[in-house]
Amino acid sequence: MKIKKGFVLRVVGGENVVVPVGEMSKVFHGMINLNDTGAFMWKFFSEEHTLEEGVDALCAEYEVERERAAADVEKFMEIIQKNGFAE
Amino acid sequence: MEQSEKQTIEQVLLTHGKYIGPTVGVSMLPMLKNRRDTIVVVPKTERLKPLDVALYKRGEAYVLHRVLKVVDGGYIIRGDNCYADEDVPEETVIGVLSEFFRKGKHYTCTDKKYLKYVRKHLKHYKCRRFFVILKAKSRNAVKKILRALGWRSKK
Repeated sequence: MKIKKGFVLRVVGGENVVVPVGEMSKVFHGMINLNDTGAFMWKFFSEEHTLEEGVDALCAEYEVERERAAADVEKFMEIIQKNGFAE
Repeated sequence: MEQSEKQTIEQVLLTHGKYIGPTVGVSMLPMLKNRRDTIVVVPKTERLKPLDVALYKRGEAYVLHRVLKVVDGGYIIRGDNCYADEDVPEETVIGVLSEFFRKGKHYTCTDKKYLKYVRKHLKHYKCRRFFVILKAKSRNAVKKILRALGWRSKK
C-alpha cells in the first residue's frame, strides 16, 4: 500500500500540512491537516508498505499497544483510500 | 484527518488563519515556480508595505503579486516576472504572503536574505525590461524580414 505521488508534507508553525504539487495540484484543490502520528504515517506510506509493516513502525515510534496501533493504521489508510490518495 | 466542505481561499483564511497551497502561474518567477513551490498566506490585518506580496482577487481569479507602492485607496502591484504595473484597490486584497517553500526550502518573508534578494531583483527591473522589449522587437523585425523574403512559417 502506498500514497500517490504529487503531494508534499510541509510543517508550518508546528502544524503538519500536506499540499499537492505538479499535476496533482490540477486535480486536488485543498490542504490536508495531519497530527504528528498522521504525519508519521503519511511519510511511512509514501513508500510501498503493508498495513502490518505500518503497525510495526507505529509501535516502534510511539509507546502504543499493538491493537490500538492496528486500528489507527487501518483507519488512516481507510481515509487515504476513500479520498483517492492511495495508489 | 477530517474532510471539510469546499471553501474559498477567503473562507480558509477566516477559519484557519492561513492558507497553504501550491503556486500556480509564472508571474512570480524566479522566486516561485508553477506548481512546484508552496505558499503560506495570512489574512491582511493592516495596510501592506512595499515589497510585501499581496494575494488579491481579479474578478474570480486569485493573484499573488508584489506591492511596489502604497497609494490612496490601494496599491501599485507587479509580478516579479511581469512588465506591467497594476492598480489594485485595497478592498480586493485579501491576504499577504508570510512564508514560502522554494525547491523544498523554507523562507519567511522577514528573512534578511530574502529581502536582500527582493531589493536586488527590483533594482535590475529596468535592465531586464529593456532586454525583454529588445528581444521582442528583434524577433518581430526578423519575422518581418523573413516574410518580405517570402519565407513562411510551418503551422
